Amino acid sequence: MDLMDTIAISASGMNVQSNRLRVVSENIANADSTGSTPGSAPYRRKTISFKHHLDRETGANLVQVNKIGTDSSQFNRAYEPTHPAADAEGYVLTPNVNTIMEMMDMREARRGYEANLNVIEASKNMMSQSISIIR
Amino acid sequence: MMDFNQITVMKMANAHMRYQAQRQNVLSQNIANIDTPGYQSKDLTPLDFGKFAQAEARRLEMRTTSSVHQAGFRQFEGPYREEKLRAPYEVTPVKNSVSLEQQMGNINNVSLNFQLSTTIYRKMDQMFKTALGTR
Repeated sequence: MDLMDTIAISASGMNVQSNRLRVVSENIANADSTGSTPGSAPYRRKTISFKHHLDRETGANLVQVNKIGTDSSQFNRAYEPTHPAADAEGYVLTPNVNTIMEMMDMREARRGYEANLNVIEASKNMMSQSISIIR
Repeated sequence: MMDFNQITVMKMANAHMRYQAQRQNVLSQNIANIDTPGYQSKDLTPLDFGKFAQAEARRLEMRTTSSVHQAGFRQFEGPYREEKLRAPYEVTPVKNSVSLEQQMGNINNVSLNFQLSTTIYRKMDQMFKTALGTR
């Protein structure tokens, strides 16, 4: 158990946070992706969850992506009779993506990433201090 | 020949350094799992040199009679015991008890303590060099 393991642990944290950011960017990019035929379903918002798992080599609790699922909440509806995906009443189903919520998620992912990066920085400083003893 | 590590000050600085390294490891696990549902914050028991000496004496490894035998799996835990944080600053609704502020404070603490032990090491080293007349 040494400082090198610390870097691996923090890297696993950075990895899941960047995966989370990937899901967020998918959601934001598809915030306006509707279906193309009348009444068809638009893009469904994706969700991500994490879990910890014991890495047997280091005996440390690393973190990994548990599941990338979908948000089962209702789609939004917009009145657009000329849209190719409009149903008989002129309504188009739009994705259940809430941009503000995604922005918040993005901030949180960034903070998590930053925190892990700071830990790596601290560990790196500790290691270079050890090296400086023999200098 | 004199063993550098047999000198009490060096031994204690060494133990102190290893404690900080292990603590950094535990803290980085906390930070990595900052968004993991159900993850409980961990920390090391405070440093106690008396207990440390006893733990070292009691450690048992599985014996292998041949180099091709597989060593028994034993989760590597350093000489210091990990424990769940008893009074975390906050617990989120998904039962995650990692508080970023608390962890960052602890990491700073570890960095400073590590710096202390490396300074002790370096000063001792300088003292020996002065005695030997090599500087």
